[in-house]
Amino acid sequence: MSELVRIQHLSKNFGRKRVLEGFDLAVESGRVYGLLGRNGEGKTTLARILMGVIPADGGEVLYKGRRISFGDSAYKREFGYVPEDPFFYEDMTVRGLLEFNARFYPRWDRKRAASDLERFALDPKSRIRTLSRGMKLKLGLAVALAAAPEFLILDDPTSGLDVPTRQDFLRDIIRELAASGTTILFATHMVHELERIVERLLVLHGGRLIVDEDFEKVKARYQMSLEDIFVSVVSKG
Amino acid sequence: MFGALFLKEWREKALVFFFGLGILVIFFLAHLLFPEKKDLLEWLTYAVLLLFFPFLALILASGGFETEYRDGVWAYLFSRPVKKAVLWLAKYLSLLSMLLALWLIFLAVWSVVPALNEFAGGTRILLGFRIETGFPFWSLLQSVFCLTVAFSLAVLHEKQFNILFLSLILGLGLTAAVWLALNSGLGAHLAWTAPATAVTAFLVSQVLIALAFAAASILTFVRSDFSQVRKKTLSFVRWGVPFLFGALGLTAAWAILAPGPAERYISFLYSSGGDPYYMTQRGIFKYSATADRVRWLVKTNRANYFLSSAAAGKIAYGVFDVRSKTDVTEELWVMSADGKDRRRLLPAAGKGSTWPAGMSLADLLISPDGTKIMILAQRSAKVTPGERSPLWVVNADGTGLENLPGDPALLGAKIEMRAYVYLVAWVQAGGGVLIAQRFPAPANTYRLWVYDLKNQTARLLLDNALQASWFSPVSPRGERLAIKYQKTAGKPWVLALLDLKTLGTTDITGGDERVWSGASWDKTGDQLAYLIRRAQPGGPGAYALAVYSLTAGKTVSERTMTTKESDALLLWPAWTADGAKLLVLDRTGNRLKVLRPDLSEEKTIAFPAPVRLPAGLQTAGDHVLIEDGETDTLWRLDLRTGSWKKIL
Repeated sequence: MSELVRIQHLSKNFGRKRVLEGFDLAVESGRVYGLLGRNGEGKTTLARILMGVIPADGGEVLYKGRRISFGDSAYKREFGYVPEDPFFYEDMTVRGLLEFNARFYPRWDRKRAASDLERFALDPKSRIRTLSRGMKLKLGLAVALAAAPEFLILDDPTSGLDVPTRQDFLRDIIRELAASGTTILFATHMVHELERIVERLLVLHGGRLIVDEDFEKVKARYQMSLEDIFVSVVSKG
Repeated sequence: MFGALFLKEWREKALVFFFGLGILVIFFLAHLLFPEKKDLLEWLTYAVLLLFFPFLALILASGGFETEYRDGVWAYLFSRPVKKAVLWLAKYLSLLSMLLALWLIFLAVWSVVPALNEFAGGTRILLGFRIETGFPFWSLLQSVFCLTVAFSLAVLHEKQFNILFLSLILGLGLTAAVWLALNSGLGAHLAWTAPATAVTAFLVSQVLIALAFAAASILTFVRSDFSQVRKKTLSFVRWGVPFLFGALGLTAAWAILAPGPAERYISFLYSSGGDPYYMTQRGIFKYSATADRVRWLVKTNRANYFLSSAAAGKIAYGVFDVRSKTDVTEELWVMSADGKDRRRLLPAAGKGSTWPAGMSLADLLISPDGTKIMILAQRSAKVTPGERSPLWVVNADGTGLENLPGDPALLGAKIEMRAYVYLVAWVQAGGGVLIAQRFPAPANTYRLWVYDLKNQTARLLLDNALQASWFSPVSPRGERLAIKYQKTAGKPWVLALLDLKTLGTTDITGGDERVWSGASWDKTGDQLAYLIRRAQPGGPGAYALAVYSLTAGKTVSERTMTTKESDALLLWPAWTADGAKLLVLDRTGNRLKVLRPDLSEEKTIAFPAPVRLPAGLQTAGDHVLIEDGETDTLWRLDLRTGSWKKIL
């Protein structure tokens, strides 16, 4: 498998608080990465840096071997991003948001967008301000998937979803994407969700990765549930 | 994607746009429904231009990022595959297009509604008043400026009111600072010397300041961490401060280096030793016929080009106090004709001066021997009207300043100077001064007074009389004054010579002749050229150039020039330096006619193309100097070769 994204010595501070420090990661294409970390460990920060939402204080990110800077935008056409709290223009309709996004992505899949709206029971005419948090998450996911991304970053997207949708999301959508070769970085603090889908486990602690290993190997070594593995590695630091 | 962002902004701000449109509709309806209420409509027009457009721009732009902040969308938007600079520009241009759309609607309706047309000529208002008042071109620029500043600041904060308030403070504060700088001691020089440059410097400052804000905003938007407010603000300040200093520096550089009109006015002062002197707002210039060049004798950006007098190798002139912010002239200076010994006479330095503070000069006249200067003064608002008359006299060395009692009949019942009183000529031997008084209503009527300096009394010399020429009515040796007067009100004007020693008059014309325009003395003071109108039975009359000889005691030559009054108005005679030929500035044909002593035409010389409004004619050696009133330039013609050269 070829290397899709390489992150080297990434660092980020918020005031005096150091969130990421010497963060390194190599992401191979077509795999599902599960990024675990406690609240405030920097999962969202990492996702935002990768999406060019905020700048890093140091280090670099390479996509397909090319260094991407904070101002670059072209690479984002191949990135999908579902944030933890998907904020949209509240006065837009569901359809309006899709049309708005369609103009940014050359590979925009209208059929996929329409089918996902149906799948998630989203009314195209609904105003976004009328949607619940869970519905907004579904909409965010629909937008991200319609862009047909090569690399999908999911920043704790399931925390607001109802159980059936979460099941649907984890069981069907992620597997379907993984099967189609989409690389996925799934950041969450809800450990048990990852167990069913993750191929490579990443544990973020103290600003850097303390685990970066194939999940099967980790599971074989520790012989315990992912939740227990997580608690164990984090407590050891 | 630019279009998507652009349209999104339009949709979001549509309510503000339609609110603005509603205000304009009310404004236009007011013009249609109450066309007779001119004061109200004028007030409304000013309110729309001065308040509505700038404030609408502030309201539109200060909420430029409101939804991104309110809905937390900025992070989502930044993750889209679009450059942040494009995001910024799309939003900005969208808001700008809304503002300009309202402007276009305003101008379009303005140009088609007759009631509105009374205030200005359609869309030409954008350019028509640009120099005169900077308005409403200024209003358009100001509203764009407000929009840019407010939008630039909007990236910093989520609360629209705070941005609006900050924009008002910073935007209007900087505007006021530039305006004050232009009105300060330094800037006011610019305002005097090149008002168009001063106005454009102000407009340039608005553009540059707005660009400084925009540049700082874009860089902050593109490069800073939007999630950290303090970092973002510091980033804006770090970029904005040097940009602002750069904008102000470039404005200053533009004001200094921008090519502007060299002169605002050119006014012939007098001739000494065959060389003419000119005065402009930049100072006093002397043209040397032998060297064929102009020498800048006095460099002052505050000279009052209308207020000067020269005689006996001395030049007295007024200087504006530009800091006073009024058009008063408060300083009297004197110097020798070679530009040396320059000194300020008024206000006199030191204590004990009787010259009241705030007095301004209205007219001045230096005596033929150059020892005294007669002054007509005018009180500014700072001086309490009172017992002092506006007549003053001072020695040319600055001593002996004296306030002369005025005649109420000449100067008004409260001995305050009437608007149209001016000094004409010194009576020979310096015993008195001729003063003209003009009454604008019911028709222009004039009185000529003589003020006796010894007795300090004024005496009415002639009713319905004034000097025959504004430029050189006194003969070269100061013996005679060419005047025109009506023996009886309503009768034809008669050209006469007033002996400045005896104050007796000698009529030159009479009968059915009418003095038409100014007279010109030759260098010896023996011949006087003038234009008259001769009545023709049943015809419009003919306009003739005539030459009167004092030696012969009669008109020695005459030549009909035109039958058209409009053409006659544009004729102007002047003698060559040797008195052998007469030149006639023919503005109708844009040419100069060279006439022999018998007034037969020797040749005509066309003016060069840039000379559009030849307004004055002086001779110096073999050269002729012509002022162009349109471009405020001075041109030299070499009569031997016929070549032209712009010399000032």
